[in-house]
Amino acid sequence: MPVFQIDGEPVEYEPGEKVLSAALRCGKIIPHYCYHPGMSIVATCRMCLVDVIDLGNGRPAPKLQTACSVDATAGMKIETFNQKVEEGRKLVNEFLLINHPLDCPICDQSGECTLQDYSFKYGSGKSEMDYSKRVNGWRDIGTFVALERNRCIQCSRCDRFTREITGTNEFGMFNRGHELAVDTYTDRPMTNKFQGNMADICPVGAITEKEFRFKRRVWKLKKNHSICTGCSTGCNVTIEHDRNEVFRLKPHENQNVNKWWLCDEGRLTYRKMNEKKSRINQPLGLIGENLEGISWEKAYGAIAERIRELKPLPQEVLALTDTHASNEELFLIQKLLKEGFSSENIFCPFPTWEQSESDFFINTLITTDKTPNRAGALALHIKGDQKNKKLKKVIEGELKVVFVLGNPFENELEFKEIIKRTQLVIHIGVFHNSWSEMADVVLPGQFYSEKEGTYTNKNQRVQSTEIAVKALRRTRPEWQIISELSQALGHKSSFESIPQVFNAMVQEAKAFTGISFDKIGSFGIELTKNTKDPGKKVVPEMTAI
Amino acid sequence: MLEETLVLFKNIRNPKYDKSLAGYKKTGGFKSLKKVFGMKPEEVVQEVKESGVRGRGGAGFPTGLKWSFMAKGTGKPSYLVANADESEPGTCKDRELMLKDPHLFLEGLMIGSYAVGCHHAYVYVRGEFFPAIKTLNAAVDELYADGLLGHDPLGSGFNLDITIHTGAGAYICGEETALLDSLEGKRGQPRVKPPFPAVSGFNGCPTSVNNVETLACLPFIFSDGGVESFKSFGPQNNSGTHLVSLSGHVNSPGVYELRMDVSMKDIIYEIGGGIRNGKKLKGVIPGGSSSPVMKADEIDVLYNFDDLAKIGTMMGSAAMMVFDEDTDVVKLLHRITRFYAHESCGQCTPCREGTHWSRQIVRDFLNGNGSEEKLKRLDRVGGNMLGTTLCALGDAAALPIQSIVNKFPEEFRNYYATT
Ligand SMILES: Cc1cc2nc3c(=O)[nH]c(=O)nc-3n(C[C@H](O)[C@H](O)[C@H](O)COP(=O)(O)O)c2cc1C
Ligand code: SF4
Ligand code: SF4
Ligand code: FES
Repeated sequence: MPVFQIDGEPVEYEPGEKVLSAALRCGKIIPHYCYHPGMSIVATCRMCLVDVIDLGNGRPAPKLQTACSVDATAGMKIETFNQKVEEGRKLVNEFLLINHPLDCPICDQSGECTLQDYSFKYGSGKSEMDYSKRVNGWRDIGTFVALERNRCIQCSRCDRFTREITGTNEFGMFNRGHELAVDTYTDRPMTNKFQGNMADICPVGAITEKEFRFKRRVWKLKKNHSICTGCSTGCNVTIEHDRNEVFRLKPHENQNVNKWWLCDEGRLTYRKMNEKKSRINQPLGLIGENLEGISWEKAYGAIAERIRELKPLPQEVLALTDTHASNEELFLIQKLLKEGFSSENIFCPFPTWEQSESDFFINTLITTDKTPNRAGALALHIKGDQKNKKLKKVIEGELKVVFVLGNPFENELEFKEIIKRTQLVIHIGVFHNSWSEMADVVLPGQFYSEKEGTYTNKNQRVQSTEIAVKALRRTRPEWQIISELSQALGHKSSFESIPQVFNAMVQEAKAFTGISFDKIGSFGIELTKNTKDPGKKVVPEMTAI
Repeated sequence: MLEETLVLFKNIRNPKYDKSLAGYKKTGGFKSLKKVFGMKPEEVVQEVKESGVRGRGGAGFPTGLKWSFMAKGTGKPSYLVANADESEPGTCKDRELMLKDPHLFLEGLMIGSYAVGCHHAYVYVRGEFFPAIKTLNAAVDELYADGLLGHDPLGSGFNLDITIHTGAGAYICGEETALLDSLEGKRGQPRVKPPFPAVSGFNGCPTSVNNVETLACLPFIFSDGGVESFKSFGPQNNSGTHLVSLSGHVNSPGVYELRMDVSMKDIIYEIGGGIRNGKKLKGVIPGGSSSPVMKADEIDVLYNFDDLAKIGTMMGSAAMMVFDEDTDVVKLLHRITRFYAHESCGQCTPCREGTHWSRQIVRDFLNGNGSEEKLKRLDRVGGNMLGTTLCALGDAAALPIQSIVNKFPEEFRNYYATT
């Protein structure tokens, strides 16, 4: 790759790459507002000034250049920091501030606002603007985001977002000159499903998420990397939380999955992380007619005892799981059945889903397939079909023991009626549902924000989550529950950690061959890339129907 | 006595001239086009380079050179767009040409189209020019009827269509990239350059945007001996005659066609007939409101691109606005800053904020709230816009502020000394 110099250091660049992009890549801090790597370059905020001391031909550029719009060229020499540059940035920042309300104390962006950051650095502390400031006022633009236009610095990122990313064009810049203002056309509320991103990319507090308004100062928030389980795309997110309460989900850049974006539906799943009412908060056992709280030891002991009594044959055991379970959990429950009961009766719902081709952005991000780990289940050859025909056959036979993980086959009331009559139903899950109601033993699991795990997205990419918030005291992660349960049943294998489970899965499940937990990293790893024949998908193709 | 040199205005100055196609043909019209059709496009570009004609839209960029930058072999069509958005305050020359001799301009447009390989040329006309729009449309209809436009005019094997497109009232749409955005049906806002229009212009295709007057020079350049006589009309690097829009406090304002080797003084006193009511000259805005203002003692200079650049101002669109000793330059500056504050497209920070702020400061002086500090601030705000914006409008707004503040500081001081 060709090389140019930033502050005396050689930097490699792709031909056609802009100076700013190359500089940011190597960790240089160049203040900027309008530039966003995912959208077109407009070079209008004029903040990203740099001094081109050599254009590559021995001559300097006649004036400061905007780094976002200047192509890097061989032999070019850039200074990102000298007196001239600092002066230039200072005057641009002054222009941006003269009409800014400076209402940081009541602005949610405060703390993650680049205007605020750069103003600390370049602002003078004393305004020379002695006229009343421009008032554009707030606008009601829909349910998801709030627009306070007085704070707007007219960078046009939001405008470009609806034009270039969602293609919905419902937002735009109106009027001109000093009166230039953003708004929706003819007061119509916004309709796109990605409005939260506009709050993310707005460098100031002009667009903020309504859901987060006035809830927490951002510097109090702790952040953990995770994967959204809203659909099978598996967008990378940061869970932002304080004092064990989650306040919001923000997209975490992953060029292979969600780029910089996250859909609104996914953002709202944070509510579920704080949900307390419907949580199962301790192990429960059927005592007489009622489910009552018992200890973990008692729960495991009771299950082991019942199973010893029942002596189920392989076809008399069944496990049902949903696709919210992680790869490890699926693997372990499958193993539990195989090792303990020589049974392969593990089923998962694979509902059909539809996706219209026309929503170009929507197809790459949000899908109507709400089965986050469907690909993981398929990779492990967990059974299931769209009409649940095979499962029906098993259920209609003789059944003695049923394990239920999560909330599978929610609407198959007929199945539930039959299973209810089974001698032993064990439910492992986070929330109370009809399965926990009919169970003989209920084992409380943890939500994905509370535990580690890996998920396989629709493009066969395996990605991992971190523990963000502490789970309720008497719950345990499902993988641990299943592992402890198999111990109690006297099975051989025992697992202490997610990496250990993962690596065992790699040994046993063909689809995962060649990867290891360490290789997942923060951007995930694709299953297909590890087969000898890279053209062949190891997991059956998941097509939209 | 200084007189006009008639090249572009040769027909217009003839009171009996019939501006229809037949009338234009009678004066030798379309002979140059015929000649051009006999040449290779590269030869045409070379001839234009040879003639030394520089853009009359304001920047004075050599036209032949601009055409030679047009991307070739891209597999995309090339476009030529005539910039007829004439909105620079003081400028009214393109309107004369379009209104009174449309075929001269259209012949130029056709020559240019042939040179750059354009098969569909556009004329982007200022929306308020209703009579000119009507005239142009009628003229284009005549050309189609005559077979000079459309398929294979004059048996050249070359196809050309011309569309007259009207703007919607924005000064910024005269800036070539904003013009192209507007022509594409978008909001008229300047684009970031590079890529220049020659590489990616109208609909992303190689495009040249040329001023009406620039194009109107072409029929003469391609007449017999045209290049040589064109060059003889001015000093080196400033060839040709040009149209000067003379306005303000002179006795005979108007659009005059002059050589480029005449002095400003002569233009004002001989062509313009001197200052109105026998007053004394105070200053001149030499090239449209965007150019730095000149004081009365600076006007002994040749009125062309290079000589004006040498003394720190510019010829711009050759719109000379003369003001006499009674003129209040603070009010003048207020009018200018109002214009730029109103016309800034607003996308880039220094121009959006600076044009409005400077206007507010000047208004303070008029309201008796001026101060030495504000005068300095005005100069500083102007300076902060200069060279920091995306398009040249920011500079255009800054130059008059800085020059007026620095050349007439006393006038500002009078405002707050006396009140
Ligand atoms: C703010 C602004 C306004 C302009 N307005 C006009 C105009 O009204 N007419 C024009 O011909 N050129 C105008 N220009 C210049 C054009 O950008 C461009 O340079 C010109 O059309 C090129 O033609 P030429 O090479 O024939 O001069 C303007 C430039 C700026 C920056
Ligand atoms: S609302 Fe935000 S993103 Fe949109 S133009 Fe204003 S500052 Fe930029
Ligand atoms: S300088 Fe002014 S007119 Fe030109 S692009 Fe910037 S804001 Fe628009
Ligand atoms: S980031 Fe370069 S001009 Fe805005």
